[in-house]
Amino acid sequence: MGSDTFFIGVDVGGTFTDCVVLETGQPLRSYKASSTPRDPSVGLFNVLELAAADLGVAPQALLEASARLVHGTTVATNAIVERRGAPVGLLTTRGHGELLLLMRGMGRTAGLSVHEMLNIPASNKPEPLVPAHLTAEINERIDCDGDVVVALQDDEVRDAVRRLVAAGVQALAICFLWSFRNPEHERRAVASAREVAPHLHITASSDLIPRWGEYERAAATALNAYVGPESSGYLERLRSGLAERGLTRPPLIVLCTGGVVPAREAARVPLFTLGSGPVAGLVGTGVLGELIGCRDIIATDMGGTSFDVGLIHDGEPVKTPVNVVGQYHYALPSIDIRSIGAGGGTVAWIDPITRGLRLGPRSAGADPGPACYGRGGEEATVTDADLVLGYLDGAHFLGGRMPLYRERAVAAVKEIGAALGLGVMETAAGIARVCEFQMADLIRKMTVERGYDPREFVLFAYGGAGPVHCGVFARELGVQRVVIPLGSAAAVWSALGAAGSDLLHVVETTEVMAAPLDASRLGAAFLKMEQRLRDQLLSEGVPETAVEMRRWAALRYRSQIHEVEVPVATEMLTEAAAAELVNGFEQRYARLYGEGAGFREAGVELVSLRVDGIGRTPKPNLPRLQSDGPAPSAQASAGNRPVYWTERQRVEETPVFLGERLHAGNVIRGPSIIEMVSTTVVVRPSQQVTVDAWGNLLLDI
Amino acid sequence: MTSHIAPSVVDPPWKSLLGHEAQTDIDPITYEVIRHNLWSINEEHAATIVKISGSPIVVFGHDFNPSILTEDGEWVFFGPYIQYLNAAGDAAVQWILENRSANPGIGDGDMFLTNDPWVGSNHQPDVTLLCPVFWEGKIFCWVTNTMHQYDLGGNTPGSFCPSARDVYDEPSPIPPLKIVEGGVLRKDLEELYLRRSRMPYLVALDLRAEIAGNNVARERILHLIRRYGAATVKGAMRKIIGDSERAFTEKLAALPDGIWRDQVFLEVALPGDRKTYKCALSMEKRGQELTFRNAGSDPQTGAINLTYIAWRGAIQSVILPFFLYDQMYAIGGALRHIHFDATPGTVTVANFPAAVSCSPAFGIYATIVTANNCVAKLVAAHPEQRKVITCNAMSQWPIISLSGIDQWGKPYGTILMDPMACGTGAFADRDGVSTGGFFHDPMGISPNIEHNEFFFPILYLYRRENTDSGGAGTFRGGNSAVIAFIPHGTDRIEHTTASCGAAVPATLGLFGGYPGCTNSYRMWRSTNVLERLRAGELVEEISAAGGSEEALPSKASGIVQGRDDIYQIWWNGGAGYGDPLERALPLVERDVRAGDVSRAAAESIYGVAFRGDPLEVDAQASEENRTMMRENRRRRSTAPKAGSGRIEGTVLLSLGEALEVVDTPAGRWFRCSKCQQGLGPVTDNYKEHCLRYDGPLQDAGPLIGDPKRYIDDEMVFRQFYCPGCVVLVETEIARRDEPPLRDTELH
Repeated sequence: MGSDTFFIGVDVGGTFTDCVVLETGQPLRSYKASSTPRDPSVGLFNVLELAAADLGVAPQALLEASARLVHGTTVATNAIVERRGAPVGLLTTRGHGELLLLMRGMGRTAGLSVHEMLNIPASNKPEPLVPAHLTAEINERIDCDGDVVVALQDDEVRDAVRRLVAAGVQALAICFLWSFRNPEHERRAVASAREVAPHLHITASSDLIPRWGEYERAAATALNAYVGPESSGYLERLRSGLAERGLTRPPLIVLCTGGVVPAREAARVPLFTLGSGPVAGLVGTGVLGELIGCRDIIATDMGGTSFDVGLIHDGEPVKTPVNVVGQYHYALPSIDIRSIGAGGGTVAWIDPITRGLRLGPRSAGADPGPACYGRGGEEATVTDADLVLGYLDGAHFLGGRMPLYRERAVAAVKEIGAALGLGVMETAAGIARVCEFQMADLIRKMTVERGYDPREFVLFAYGGAGPVHCGVFARELGVQRVVIPLGSAAAVWSALGAAGSDLLHVVETTEVMAAPLDASRLGAAFLKMEQRLRDQLLSEGVPETAVEMRRWAALRYRSQIHEVEVPVATEMLTEAAAAELVNGFEQRYARLYGEGAGFREAGVELVSLRVDGIGRTPKPNLPRLQSDGPAPSAQASAGNRPVYWTERQRVEETPVFLGERLHAGNVIRGPSIIEMVSTTVVVRPSQQVTVDAWGNLLLDI
Repeated sequence: MTSHIAPSVVDPPWKSLLGHEAQTDIDPITYEVIRHNLWSINEEHAATIVKISGSPIVVFGHDFNPSILTEDGEWVFFGPYIQYLNAAGDAAVQWILENRSANPGIGDGDMFLTNDPWVGSNHQPDVTLLCPVFWEGKIFCWVTNTMHQYDLGGNTPGSFCPSARDVYDEPSPIPPLKIVEGGVLRKDLEELYLRRSRMPYLVALDLRAEIAGNNVARERILHLIRRYGAATVKGAMRKIIGDSERAFTEKLAALPDGIWRDQVFLEVALPGDRKTYKCALSMEKRGQELTFRNAGSDPQTGAINLTYIAWRGAIQSVILPFFLYDQMYAIGGALRHIHFDATPGTVTVANFPAAVSCSPAFGIYATIVTANNCVAKLVAAHPEQRKVITCNAMSQWPIISLSGIDQWGKPYGTILMDPMACGTGAFADRDGVSTGGFFHDPMGISPNIEHNEFFFPILYLYRRENTDSGGAGTFRGGNSAVIAFIPHGTDRIEHTTASCGAAVPATLGLFGGYPGCTNSYRMWRSTNVLERLRAGELVEEISAAGGSEEALPSKASGIVQGRDDIYQIWWNGGAGYGDPLERALPLVERDVRAGDVSRAAAESIYGVAFRGDPLEVDAQASEENRTMMRENRRRRSTAPKAGSGRIEGTVLLSLGEALEVVDTPAGRWFRCSKCQQGLGPVTDNYKEHCLRYDGPLQDAGPLIGDPKRYIDDEMVFRQFYCPGCVVLVETEIARRDEPPLRDTELH
């Protein structure tokens, strides 16, 4: 057992902490332990012990032999959701201390669903991130060119910080107007604050996220400060705990940018860990997509409460510059994952006025859960409908670990059916159909409405309930092929994605410049950013040969607001290359927003530059399955069961297969059911599944 | 052509064009899928417009709205953008059917453009594009959108023309024009359209966005038809309308019959004018029908008018959030029971050729205020429905128009969108939301300062919530904001002001709640701001920066701001709910500590006494104060026409905070719900049975200045108190010589 034998990925979920251990040439191993919300590192250490025991080694030996341990944390997310972050003080430009209270006038409805938004008396702004008495306005002013209009006085900062500390702040956010153009005042304010309060968690906006737009930048800065003390405490405990247990390299933390960074760096920018769990899943999708030759992917994850969708276009995850949490819009470049309340536990109900069927967004959650869980839930959910229809087998749910009570599901669905005047099967099929339609609708919003054609994408379906419904929503979208990844690994997908992530640091700078672009200024700006990234990656032990830089530039038409990012070739920029950049922007703009949508007469301007500094990490080789002919072996058959097929409007005896016993090359025609440990694949009539060499199920629509 | 009201023709010649076939027994699952699909078609329609246009007006101001209508022009769905936009799509469809079906004809692939405020637009910059969707040779339905354009001509850049004497000084209205014929954009008509604009390229781009939006919506509807059949899709549309109709009529059936009235006064019809103009609205409710009337509004005049189309749209944008929030704003069914009985020739329903380009800033908002108050007083009678009550947000938009040469040496002209951050009015059980925005534009956004300072040569000194801007009340209105800036990177900025609600408060409260503050434009000349900045100090109060204030008119052009002049603007706060003296003391303490209410206002309006440092409410002294203030209310008031003392009776209706209706042997009577004081039989105006005090407008809030700066008319802030317990039952902004408005008249 060498020192680089294992690759470990650990993902902490609401219920389970998942762990994946990869070893070259060996089948993938996965483990689950209960999550420990109070201190998630306990669950993490527990699951590592499980893994070590299974591998027959001491935990110390497992960690000592690990090339890396990658971890997705929800500490920051939970601190925000449960509103138990640190008291934050804010330093901002005098005259603008209320920017986080004004919320650009959109805070009352930001991020709400249509139904919530239209219910005006129920709408309100969230609790202030920083209460007024913890805000200090500082005499300093920089203008849009980055020129100093009012010089900062360090004494004033020191006095303000002393006052805020006395008032109880544990973290400090600093956001001055135009600091992304000229960070000098913020840097000096950080230095003064450190002098006065060395132990304070300090975030400066120009350091965290040097983006144009003071509200979203300030919100990101304050949120980072808010989750800072708890996140850094946790990550430090984790780092030292793992080191004591034998891990020789710093643990790596998954960020919502799609890359990983050492724990110490993550402690500086904990905001970047928000939503990193689903992002790790998307990264896993990308790694697998690369392996099987898919570069345009719609990644879908259907769990108990929600349905999450992300996109990979031309091998790159699609990102968003702004996110919303708790009605705060905040600037943060992250992989764009959108979610709707359409999971297995989503509740079906009857609209009192239209007497029509409605679904969600409320979920029965895990407790009481769907009616069929037999834990006292009486409302029909999607899982109940799936059970009634015969998609799920009550005796084999989660590999038989959890019995489902069909009669309870039938009773719940019947009640909905009575209100609709429909039979129990028609009602269950209706619930499934409405759910599948909502899923197709979300995907449509993420593709068609943004200029992507879903028919050119391959759809990945993971999460417990996804493969039950993907055959229908993929068909709705005109998608030709669905991949149900790596069989049983689909259930620990985020942990697997984490294990396969590369190191990624992102540096951005705002450079507003009208076309024709000044190539030498651009080149110099890029080089400066790259030098910073290279230094950081080398200091983290990445070998020079594994370092990769990717340059991006965001441009737009001067009188329009859509910014489009285009890649920039990594050689010294020439005038011709700079002109090519503008052409590339125009082409991409036309592709995303329609031919002729760009207002060329107004001129093109560059808005910002970004460099992704990537430290490529070695990827474990996934083992290939034994190959076989199209016919599944007799051992793979689990007999027949009655299933209702909407396409045929009747119940049919349908063949059932055991996914674990399928071989590469096996072909299964619909209608049929494939049972896996953590999910069930429903193969609709006229669809068919092929097992590929890695054990992925390829569903042809 | 006078104000256009679509006639109801029983058997029109164009009827053969329409495809009516609809299935009535759609299974509930298919219905739900089609319903959701139709909603999402509207969303995709909107996303297409945002994508192609990319204009800040569309993306930040949401100054557009898509819709789907049936073949004969009944609404199916409406987008969740600015609610009064595209509120005339139904009238425009009917107009096109009546006036265009024979010549030039309506065919597959055609689209009709109009910005005619007498046909299908609020004002000329709002351009509506209507597209019939054909199936098997007949019109199956219509998809439409309306979008605000930067400029379509007229005597003022931006096409809000506050000095227009009539429509000939404004952008010319275009009656429905078949600009797309058989799928082809007609070049001759496009050029005719673009020729009038100061920014033809952007208008051309937005026209393409409108066309693409309609195309996307049409294609998706055709896809639905191919999949489910035309009769099924149409049946689902009919059911959406039918469901919303039932939701609406069931709500109405549970409410009392009667007439409710409200009025807002606009001011300064043209630069130099010094008068006020009444926008009167009444709403009669009988059974399951509502009728709105504008009778009593002043005659049309100057540049402050609106047309029937805009008046009706403003009323719809109140009906939607308060009656149809649970029906995803499907207004078609409700409109079957809403009647618009207009009196033309008035400021609220003006005839051609009145000037109407400013209607969204003035008359539409005034109508929203009056309609909202009528609806609120109606639903107040129902214990559940009263929960939807939301007092008014900013009633009059102060146009902040800048032009000149920017810091990059290029000419510019713009209207700042900062007032999107206005205070939401109070609710029936809690305070309004400060800078929470309009209820009729659920997603409105104010620009970042860094955006405005980049695009325009200005440097903000501050932008903050404006203490005391929300109306006082048992629950107070949300505060709005105040901004101040100096020129930066330029020597001079040329400003245009255009606002109503600067002299006379227009954001009216409910049930004794005070109005939100008035709008304010202030210019401080020759200040020491530049020296102060050089000395390392920012300026937070314009009055502290030396110099002298120049009184700015509320409608004027050519105001020049020099390098050391500070320009400050604030706008209407949200309106209050209920008597301020009934506000819980701890809430006032919180307000003062948070800076939402000044100490002076807490003392003078809320009657609260403070002690200590940090400030703390002195409960006993406050109660004594409030008692004294109630005595003072009694002392200064005119006595009611007849005292009736306490009366006994069964409560039939609760009408707001202090007013109720009881059944007595002498018939139905108004009564004070706090002290059982009789307030007259319901056949009377209860206000005649109240103590009445006509105070100056300044009494309505500390930020409301002397109206004489702008107008000569004698205006009063009127308060009506219960003669028994002296609770404030209702307030009014009125002309001194006019009798109290009969706001609640029960049948």
